[in-house]
Amino acid sequence: MAQIELIGVSKTYRNHVAVRALGDVNLSITRGEFAAAVGPSGSGKTTLLNLIGAIDMPDNGVIRIAGLEVTSTAPGRLAEFRLRHLGFVFQSFNLFPVLSVLENLEFVPALRGTPKRERVERAEGLLADVGMIELRNKRPDELSGGQQQRVAVLRAILSEPDVVLADEPTANLDSENAALLLDMMERLNRERAITFLFSTHDPAVMNRARRLVRLKDGRIIADETRES
Amino acid sequence: MRIALSFGVFLLFTCEAPVRAAEPDALTIAKKCDTALKGKTQHGTASMTVHTPEWQRTLDMVFWYDYPDEDFVRITGPAKDAGTGTLRLGSNMWTWLPSVERVIKIPPSLMLQPWMGSDFTNDDLVKESSLPTDYTHRIDGETTEDGDVCYRLIATPKPNAAVVWGKLVLLIRKTDYLPRREEFYDDRGALAKTLYFDQIRRTGDRNYPMRWRMVPQNKPGHETTLSFSSLEFDRPVPASVFTRQNLERHF
Amino acid sequence: MLFWQMAWRNVWRYRRRSLLTVLTIALGLSFDILMRAIGDGYHEQMVDNSVRAGIGHMEIHRSGYQRDPALLKTLPDLPLLERLVPQTPHLRGYSFRVLGDGLASTAENSSGVRIIGIDPGAERSVTTINRAVIAGKFLDDRMSRPALIGERLSQSLGARLNDKIVLMVQAADGSMGAQLFRVAGIFRSGSPDLDRGVVYLLRKDAQSLFSLGDGVSEAALLLDSSQSVAQARQFLGSRLASARVEVLPWYVVEPFLQQFIELDDAFFYIIVLILFIVISVGILNTVMMSVFERVREFGVMMALGTRPRQVVRLVMQESAVLALVGAVVGAVLGSASTILFAYTGIDLSSYAAGASVLGITTTVMRPTLTIRNLISSDLSVVLVVLLVALYPAFKAAALRPVEAIRHV
Repeated sequence: MAQIELIGVSKTYRNHVAVRALGDVNLSITRGEFAAAVGPSGSGKTTLLNLIGAIDMPDNGVIRIAGLEVTSTAPGRLAEFRLRHLGFVFQSFNLFPVLSVLENLEFVPALRGTPKRERVERAEGLLADVGMIELRNKRPDELSGGQQQRVAVLRAILSEPDVVLADEPTANLDSENAALLLDMMERLNRERAITFLFSTHDPAVMNRARRLVRLKDGRIIADETRES
Repeated sequence: MRIALSFGVFLLFTCEAPVRAAEPDALTIAKKCDTALKGKTQHGTASMTVHTPEWQRTLDMVFWYDYPDEDFVRITGPAKDAGTGTLRLGSNMWTWLPSVERVIKIPPSLMLQPWMGSDFTNDDLVKESSLPTDYTHRIDGETTEDGDVCYRLIATPKPNAAVVWGKLVLLIRKTDYLPRREEFYDDRGALAKTLYFDQIRRTGDRNYPMRWRMVPQNKPGHETTLSFSSLEFDRPVPASVFTRQNLERHF
Repeated sequence: MLFWQMAWRNVWRYRRRSLLTVLTIALGLSFDILMRAIGDGYHEQMVDNSVRAGIGHMEIHRSGYQRDPALLKTLPDLPLLERLVPQTPHLRGYSFRVLGDGLASTAENSSGVRIIGIDPGAERSVTTINRAVIAGKFLDDRMSRPALIGERLSQSLGARLNDKIVLMVQAADGSMGAQLFRVAGIFRSGSPDLDRGVVYLLRKDAQSLFSLGDGVSEAALLLDSSQSVAQARQFLGSRLASARVEVLPWYVVEPFLQQFIELDDAFFYIIVLILFIVISVGILNTVMMSVFERVREFGVMMALGTRPRQVVRLVMQESAVLALVGAVVGAVLGSASTILFAYTGIDLSSYAAGASVLGITTTVMRPTLTIRNLISSDLSVVLVVLLVALYPAFKAAALRPVEAIRHV
């Protein structure tokens, strides 16, 4: 059963000029996939991620995620939905500069009402698991770009979402850090069966993805699943 | 026909004259009333009883008036007040207090204060203001007061008259121009007090109300009655009566 | 708790700007506190002057006297009052007086006067008239028929020290009372009404003049401060309910004074309001800027699942931090400056002429700080800041995550 389903989805941005970001897209992603949306800039991959991430709404079509038809959900309930079911990793500036690494990790569980002791335990556990425990009291500006992104991934999965959406996560990283990031994400994907969906034009990422969805001019032109 | 008409006109003329002669104008009525009450001079004795809800007092007095400018009153009883005297010359007024053997001058500001605790004010007693000269008058019909047919005279103070009232209403007997009632209205038009004249008797050469009753409008239980025992009019009064020396004389 | 930590740290992230804002709030607040204290101080002094000039903090009369004074309306239940009044809490002095009107005369002139029969010892504990004597002496029980008159009365009557004056009154039984008194002293109180229209006599002489026997017209009480009036009133009111008296605080006896104070306070509040509006503009600017500079961060927060009302709360928490820190600093500054001025006093001697119009005869003014004012000033400031912050808070909550994240 598909975890993510898009049917007939299109989105046009109207700023000064109307730009059609996505047109009549159909997509289906199952649980546990490690997929990437690829394409040149303007191809609609970021829009695709935003729509699946329920932080934007399509003009037409239906989107279902983890059983909820987000396109017919009241906007006021979407924040709650994202809180419980989704995780995000952005290209940069993911972390709250005034919070330590540990506190950044505590953020989403705190929003969900998880008690302090449990939050801290789980966050520390996760940091230890990936060998980053010694960073726990550092502020983001004391970390390297790569470290920040890895912490961002940890934050995204800490509350056990169904899907993690990562928009060009390696764009600002060198190849070594990019590799480390991908290692971590792959491992989490395997161990915890969390679906990862990226948008990227980084070949390193593309190589690691088990499914590639190619977009051009707002349409899916190819959808390849690789056996690994 | 013409004869009847001429006769009618003739009658009209002849009848009109007597009618006009019988009704005096307001000013005349006021003057006659003033004269009837005051005369040129007065000398007499009277007693004044003041009633209040808390106490009642009677003062006996002897007085001389030489209108319009001079008057003298000496209290003759009771003993506590005997010897007190009041002298007015023009607009100046003095009182002699036997208990402290001093004369004190009554300033104009106190002319409205009660005279000797009564409902008559200093001003009422000295009657410095004159009905005919300080007021303008009009007749407002007739009425009967206690069996007497009276003119109803409305007196309004003239603009620069030194008078505190807004209006006076007098009921004046048609027969001899004696007042039966005088109503005092303040300058907002509210009735402040009423003076009743009764016990009209022949005294000396004329009729005179021998009892005057002043009743304030807004002080329930208060009234002052002035009763004349003896009264004579228009006898010449020696000038020495109206002097400070007379006032200060030991009584 | 995490969010309070976040709010606190977000505030000090922009250290200089936040410090400036805190300072603005603090200065505005301390100005408010100081001004209220100064206002209270000189109002208190005005009341004090009036009170000590004659009316006392409270007056007790026969019921109905205040509305319609009359000589015969003497104080009933004297033994009860004589026993009860000295027990009044916060009492500093009391005096039973005879009040009446009459004519004061000399050979030269007469003048209508208020006659006040006093017990000199008791009166000293209530009013300061004894200190206003400029010639002769204050009344003394050993003197024979003494009168204490004001300077202007002395001039208009031509009555100098040791001269005799006649007081003529209408006594309680309706008769005319007249007695001779000797001018034992002349006073200058500074109040034209007193100096021109009042004659003080020994109470027993006044009682004799007015044929009052043992009767008195009023009891005047002086308390330790006008703040104690409520308590004293409660004490007397509850115990005198069955008596036929009215227990009146000074502001009923002399409402004009209270009205002046209220008007003055109203003006003052307007000034402070304007000040607060100015401060609000600054705060609005600060909070707006801090939101604007973090648009992207808010976007991330909302993408992660923060609801709009939680965003509002976060911004409000930051503003609350600013407000509370500002309130504390302001309270300290305001209190300290008030206490300093209360200690040194504010010297008004160069404004003495103007001050006497207001009824202030002392030349040094001391501000009075009350806890109630301190708290209300603090609360007002905090409230203003929070109110102002609502606008940027809602603006932040209205951000759309998609656009916010893109924001540079």
